[in-house]
Amino acid sequence: MSSLIAKGSPLRRWGPWIALFVVAVGVLSIATFGTLSAPTAQDRVTTISNSVKCPVCSGESVAASNAPASQEIRRQIAEQVQQGQTDEEIRSFYAAKYGQGILLTPSASGVNALVWILPIVAFAIGIAALAIVFRRWSTMPAERATDEDRELVDSALRAEADDSDIDNDPHGEGASR
Amino acid sequence: MNLALGRAGVTLGLAAAVLGVITVGYGLIRKRPDLVRLSRWYAALVFLGGFVAACAMESALITRDFTVKYVAENGSTKTPALYNFATMWGALEGSIILWALILGGYLVAVVLKFRKRLADPLVGWAVLTMLIVCVFFFGLMAGPANPFTGFSPPAGFDGPGPNPLLQNNLLMAFHPPMLYLGYVGFTVPFAFAIAALVTGRVGEGWLLATRRWTLIAWGFLTVGIILGSWWSYEVLGWGGYWAWDPVENASLLPWLTGTAYLHSVLVQERRGMLRVWNISLLCATFALTILGTWITRSGVLESVHAFTTSSIGIALISFFALIVFSTVGLIGWRGDRLRSPGRIDSPLSREGAFLANNVLFAAFAFVILLGTLFPLAVEALNDDRVSVGVPYFNRMTMPIGLTLLFLMAIAPVLPWRKASAELLRHRLIWPAWIGVGSMVFSVVVGARGFIPVLAFGLGGFAAGSAGRQIALATRRQGWRGFVGRANGGMVVHLGVIIIAMAFAASSSYVRQAEFTLTPGQSAKFAGHTLVYEGQNRKQESAKIVDQVLIRIDGTGPWAPSLNKFANGNQTIGTPSVRSTFKDDVALSVIDIRDGENGSVTIRVTVQPLIIWLWIGGGVMAFGTLLAVFPGRRRNPLDAVSAPLSMEPPKEPTGVTP
Repeated sequence: MSSLIAKGSPLRRWGPWIALFVVAVGVLSIATFGTLSAPTAQDRVTTISNSVKCPVCSGESVAASNAPASQEIRRQIAEQVQQGQTDEEIRSFYAAKYGQGILLTPSASGVNALVWILPIVAFAIGIAALAIVFRRWSTMPAERATDEDRELVDSALRAEADDSDIDNDPHGEGASR
Repeated sequence: MNLALGRAGVTLGLAAAVLGVITVGYGLIRKRPDLVRLSRWYAALVFLGGFVAACAMESALITRDFTVKYVAENGSTKTPALYNFATMWGALEGSIILWALILGGYLVAVVLKFRKRLADPLVGWAVLTMLIVCVFFFGLMAGPANPFTGFSPPAGFDGPGPNPLLQNNLLMAFHPPMLYLGYVGFTVPFAFAIAALVTGRVGEGWLLATRRWTLIAWGFLTVGIILGSWWSYEVLGWGGYWAWDPVENASLLPWLTGTAYLHSVLVQERRGMLRVWNISLLCATFALTILGTWITRSGVLESVHAFTTSSIGIALISFFALIVFSTVGLIGWRGDRLRSPGRIDSPLSREGAFLANNVLFAAFAFVILLGTLFPLAVEALNDDRVSVGVPYFNRMTMPIGLTLLFLMAIAPVLPWRKASAELLRHRLIWPAWIGVGSMVFSVVVGARGFIPVLAFGLGGFAAGSAGRQIALATRRQGWRGFVGRANGGMVVHLGVIIIAMAFAASSSYVRQAEFTLTPGQSAKFAGHTLVYEGQNRKQESAKIVDQVLIRIDGTGPWAPSLNKFANGNQTIGTPSVRSTFKDDVALSVIDIRDGENGSVTIRVTVQPLIIWLWIGGGVMAFGTLLAVFPGRRRNPLDAVSAPLSMEPPKEPTGVTP
């Protein structure tokens, strides 16, 4: 047992991280599965009216707008929630009434799917490009300093020898390691 | 008089810019340093032109000179002095004056700062580029967005005053100038990037010459965006502060690419790599400021901000296209010189982290740009209406934001070239515990939900890393551990983290409800008690203010109001917000029903940690100032990275000094 906690043993080195991981998972599961009060009817009205566009104003949601039409829709949504309709039912009711453009979340079908897919495609391309570049870099022969290079640098350093405090801190870290 | 003076200013600025372009351009091509050096006089004249135009406009506004059409349309004798002053940037034409004035100011600053190097082709081409941008903006004022159009007012005429939303809050006087200082500020590094491409001096010289300019522009843009968000929270009264409105997005786009640039430029400074990428980011940033102006000012996208519609849309979008095509062309032309010999050894290194940062910021910007322009594209192609709103942006940017927070935790402790697991284990353990600690704390105080608690954890982690760097730097350098780019940057990180946490908390735990109350009645909501006390009517010069007096938890009374403006029939609500460090209770009046025993409908929005958004913004601004403050000069002979090994490395640590 003593060898496990001996200096330099893997447990000694990674023990704090394992403990940290366990605590983090524990806290996150409490956060995820812990009792969260179910959204009240009022919260649902707020959520839904945040995703429905005000039909008469420009670019505001029904929740944000103070126009009479928006007030009316908010009241109507509250009624629909009261009647037990689901969020999706309520949203599609407005989409049928005013057209798809009334929903602030574009649907994931047809042309509109592009707005969801393109960012993922672009991100994938970005990652792929990085991977390719790194691959190319890793196959490049590594630059090695030859003795000649060393001599050149040394002579340059001697020539311009600077008496000021050359700080020995190549990484700007400042830490003694 | 004002009209003539203003026109004279615009003409002077335009003429000076055009002549400057011709003279400096001719001098550069014919290699005539004497002509190139004349740029300082042209710069001064351009600035003078902008200054005269701005003074003429302010003078017209202050004296209510309705012979100027802009004043007739946006001024009023009833507008209070401060808002009257701010009316210059309250509508399209006036805001172009502000743009031109600031541009002239930056031009003069550049000419002064580089006064000893004016004949240097790099500086010469940069000044030439700035002069071309000046020609465009003064040209706008001379043509499609002329602020000095005449008007003959009938007797007793009074203008409608500025848009009521723009005369409701003091921030109106500060948000647009700050934003413009940021937008326009990016012209300087852009001009130097173009100059580097044209002269072929694509090395690091231009980067070093402009890095402080970029930082200052970025700082102004940051402050401008945050003030704008604060303004919208204090004025619009829907309880939120960020609506992913096209105009907000337009200001965020250059901020995102600019932030990416500020990071990736460090790789070029140290390793001489990513030249094409850095130039592209900078040009994209500048192009996006023009695109943003187009989005804001052409009225092409519907938005609460697009209070103006005009014909300058075509001019702006053409200028945008010109910028894009000329930079792409120049980069293609200089392709051979832009190739750099270096390589990045490992993804797990400082430069690797900067690359990851850039991919994430680029993805962030792409999502915003796509979401903003998508409705336009669909309408153009398909003749169909779609809306892309808050739920879309929140869902798409949330994973990017969380990943950026994670990166913010890891990246600052990474060394250049290569890191080992051992090293990270060592350096990250305390930041990681701070992250776990903040998760535990948030759960103990009642936070629930995977995403927000994860965000608090990552925020704590990132704050731990930033704090570690600052602690190490101050231990080594004393007070100087706070200044300079790297250290100031860590303070900026802390500000970003504060904002991110406030954003996560307020958007996850927002509670909103409407109540209809009669005097004396009270309501309980989200742990707060509201008592409606009564109404109060105030008569001000420009408006009638109907206040609703409400006590929140016994404090107050708080007085959200409805304002009826004398000119125009608009009724504008003004919210009232009680802020504490823990949460904000924002009240706005939806409806005041006359005659029904004074009953009112109010909207109550309770959001935690809102005040930390503004505090975080202040920390970011302060950090930027620290970063701009000259740090200790690095000894040029100091090694900037681990020495190259003579033999293949035995241990992959790469940190042995």
